[in-house]
Amino acid sequence: MENIDMAKAIMEAAKYIGAGIAMGFGAIGPAIGEGNIGASAMEAMARQPEMGGTLITRMLLAMAVTESTGLYSLLVALILLFII
Amino acid sequence: MNESKAKKKKLTFTKGEKIFLGILIIIYIIVGIFNLKSMEPLTGVGERWIVTLPFGEGLLSRINPMTVIMSWLIMLILIVLAYRAGKKFSLIPGKFQLFMESLLEFIYSTVEDSTSKKEFVRPIFIIAATLFLFVVVSNVISGFPGVQVVPTDSGIKISLFEDTWYTPTSDINTNATYSVMVLIISHAFAIKVKGFGKWLKGFFEPNPIMFPMNIIGEIAKPISHSLRLFGNIAGGGILVLILSYMAKYMFIPVVLWGFFGIFVGVIQALVYSMLAIAYISSQIEE
Repeated sequence: MENIDMAKAIMEAAKYIGAGIAMGFGAIGPAIGEGNIGASAMEAMARQPEMGGTLITRMLLAMAVTESTGLYSLLVALILLFII
Repeated sequence: MNESKAKKKKLTFTKGEKIFLGILIIIYIIVGIFNLKSMEPLTGVGERWIVTLPFGEGLLSRINPMTVIMSWLIMLILIVLAYRAGKKFSLIPGKFQLFMESLLEFIYSTVEDSTSKKEFVRPIFIIAATLFLFVVVSNVISGFPGVQVVPTDSGIKISLFEDTWYTPTSDINTNATYSVMVLIISHAFAIKVKGFGKWLKGFFEPNPIMFPMNIIGEIAKPISHSLRLFGNIAGGGILVLILSYMAKYMFIPVVLWGFFGIFVGVIQALVYSMLAIAYISSQIEE
């Protein structure tokens, strides 16, 4: 075990830590955004229950767009884990 | 007709059936735990089968054969579907005709709502519907087990029905191509509507200092447009692969394939075509 390459070990460790940090912090923004969207949709549905079907479709669309920033961090994490 | 009857009937078990199901679940979990020990490591996650062409150089000579094959397969599926839908139109539509009509009508009404110019409704509808149909078919087949090719240390490994179908949308090249296409189409329409001078002036809009900002804004559009779809499909695929590797003999993967393949796939295809409509129709407003 004497000739273990220290630089390689540090890089390996940094890879996993970096992936964890990227995914953890990247998930904060989309979570808040999706929470806001869901809350507003619920309020609107409570006020006008007959609009429920339309609102759910729009809500899912808006959520899919909001999610994209979280997905960028997921991509970065996956690239760190599997490709580099 | 038996199916509709069976659906309405409430699901009840006798005592013997309950015991049988309980034993089945226990065996299932025990087999799953025993299989956990004898797992070979997962190789080739997130890697692509890449072939280098004999001519050309650099990035341009490398192709991903699965993307090409699957793109042609999906085009074939769409052609067959279109042929079947267009063969006979009846005044009283059948199930299939009704489905296709309501799908295309939904996209048409969305385009009509977001575009103020009447003469551009039809071209934008054709582009958006084409993108939607291609993307939705290629996303939904990622919810079914199928053929996947991954490179390993010793050549390539063709896995049949272990993983989901390879989808062209989980390759960034496909998405980037379509997004750049949408960008070029939107600017071509803008030139057609406003004229070249006015279109060029649009880049210097509030004042000339904003020119770099406008250029960056235009370049960012196809990047975010293509990466959104790529991230959803490729990320979901890798997530499902890893989770199904961890719980190989459990029920979880089936549910996840349904969620990531069909639910997320349809929503992302909708988002992709909606954004294409929004980008094109925002350019042709004066």
